[in-house]
Amino acid sequence: MLLSKSRMDVHDRGVRYLARCMLESGMEVILSRHGLIDEVANAALQEDVDVIGISFSVGGHVAASERLRKLMQEKGIGDKLVIVGGIIPDDDIPALKKLDIDGIFGAGSSAAEAIEFINARVNA
Amino acid sequence: MFDKKTMEQVEELKRGFDAQMKKRYGDKPFDLKTDGGLPIKPVYGPEDVQDLDFKNIAYPGQYPFTRGIYPTMYQAQPWVMQQIHGHGTPEHCRERMDYLAQLGLTGYGEMRSYNLVFDQVCKFGYDPDNPENGDMVGLVGVNMSTLDDYDRLLNGLDLTKTSVVLNQGIHSMIALAFYIVYGEEQGVPKEKLRGNTMNWLFKGWMSDLEMYPPDSAFMIMSNFIRWCSRNIPKWNTTNIVSYFAEEAGGTPVQEAAMAMAISIELTKACIAAGLEPDEFLPRFGFQIALGMDIFEHVSKIRAMRRMWATINKERFGAKDKHSMQIRCHSQTSAVSLTAQQPYVNIIRSAYGALVGVLSGVNGMTINAYDEALGIPTDESLMLAIRTHQVALYETGVPNVTDPLAGSYYVESLTEKICQEAEKYLDKIEKLGGFKKCWETGWLREELANSSYEWRRRIDRGEKVVVGLNKHRSEVHRKTQIYKVDPEVKETCIQRIKEYRATRGKEKEREQALAALKVACQGVLDNHKADFMPALIDCARARSTVQEMCDVLKSIFGWGTVY
Repeated sequence: MLLSKSRMDVHDRGVRYLARCMLESGMEVILSRHGLIDEVANAALQEDVDVIGISFSVGGHVAASERLRKLMQEKGIGDKLVIVGGIIPDDDIPALKKLDIDGIFGAGSSAAEAIEFINARVNA
Repeated sequence: MFDKKTMEQVEELKRGFDAQMKKRYGDKPFDLKTDGGLPIKPVYGPEDVQDLDFKNIAYPGQYPFTRGIYPTMYQAQPWVMQQIHGHGTPEHCRERMDYLAQLGLTGYGEMRSYNLVFDQVCKFGYDPDNPENGDMVGLVGVNMSTLDDYDRLLNGLDLTKTSVVLNQGIHSMIALAFYIVYGEEQGVPKEKLRGNTMNWLFKGWMSDLEMYPPDSAFMIMSNFIRWCSRNIPKWNTTNIVSYFAEEAGGTPVQEAAMAMAISIELTKACIAAGLEPDEFLPRFGFQIALGMDIFEHVSKIRAMRRMWATINKERFGAKDKHSMQIRCHSQTSAVSLTAQQPYVNIIRSAYGALVGVLSGVNGMTINAYDEALGIPTDESLMLAIRTHQVALYETGVPNVTDPLAGSYYVESLTEKICQEAEKYLDKIEKLGGFKKCWETGWLREELANSSYEWRRRIDRGEKVVVGLNKHRSEVHRKTQIYKVDPEVKETCIQRIKEYRATRGKEKEREQALAALKVACQGVLDNHKADFMPALIDCARARSTVQEMCDVLKSIFGWGTVY
């Protein structure tokens, strides 16, 4: 599991909580910061993770998700699960679904829901 | 506090009360705790304040300023209503400034006050066309990259009647250099400018964002303070922000102790830079959280005022009373806001405002109800400002200074928070002090642990957040979310390119940037130089934010600590 958040976004309380809950549930978790979303795609390839999770709290999630999906295709890792979370307005959910973002965990989602979602799709 | 006869009476009444309680509830303990986890009782009485030293409480305006820094507070001067805002281009931000002024946002006296947040791109020292900016131009702050942007933002305002909070984050020295040059070119000398810079380079302690390394950060902050103290002594140099500690998960005790630890470390650094405490402490300000547990947060602010006064007087030998008075800006808790049923946040923020007024804060930002979703809309901002105004004009709370003084509970809790925060501060100092605990990540881990516990309590249902884990509502009234003009990034990129092509002063700029490098080296060499005059020259020579920041980063170091 690779969890990442922009290096310019301080709101990391949620993503850090999620990382800790995932660790406690037995997952291997890498929590990182990125500048460009390209760094996330590269890290996912290098670390050979099953799932990529990005936390967004200040917007820009649709454009970043689009670029991430495109880069993943180019690198041949398009089959990996991608989830996003943080502050995701309802209006943006259709656009994210269209980009094949597998799971969207906005405000009000619990860590347990995200863990369950992943466990149902990835074999440990 | 009470004489023998009174206490005998109290004891007798207390015995009766205890018997009643026992009859009704048996020996079952109530197991009550404040939101920050301090054990409390269901009822307080004179016995809880009997041993307090009245000298530690005193009257408002008296040392140790527990009850407020002035003898009268809002009867003489309302708190400064400072809504933090900023987005888009300088023109977008200016539109909001004028809108806020029109809604009645006020500063002290005749002054207009604007609390301006710059965008992440300039805060981290990049120009808008830098590919590293991650699409954040103008998103959650205003993009201010060049001297021209200051004219776009401030054009037509009388700077001598304007107080600006330049929230340019860790690079607020750059914003001040630009502001000084802008003032100069408008015919307003720097001594007449009023406002605040953040100068909070210590902020890296609670996050893993890019930052100057701790040693450099304290050199930069203290060098900046030294120059300001000697050249623009009325400028408020530094914001000892502990609001972030609360927002990152800290308890009120942790927030109070961390604020003191920061202030102590910075005071030591300023003394090492050659300053006397009374030269710079009066220009420190604080930014404190107004959390949801009303009495705990009121007690925290009272405790913090007492602690800061005591530390500065006893430990650092401060003599000027202004060196002992916390000028306290405050902000309602953002972490308490929910994205679910966002209108409920209006109520939360109003309670936060009550905490502020009961505590006697000097300035306050009341979060708009939609700030869990995005930056505020015109409507939500208006409601936030009306919340200030209703508190001021309609509730009657501001009539009496520190109205909770003498409350058995609040006095007892103030004392308790003082004691607990002193213990926690002691722990930080035993671990080597604030800077060391920043480097080792200890403070950050402490906040992460508190934050984790907080969220676990919500997930387990031990802590109720209305609309989140109880009283959830499927009836979803749609909230309008503010969308920043999508043209902002392109506009800012076009402008910076044009600016570079047409600004002239090539030779002056080259010299100024070279001189800045030398000055920064001098700063690192035991403060043999000041960097501010060099930065001001760079701003005069039409340098951009990134050109100046690149020099600072190359000398002071830059990266993530963790």
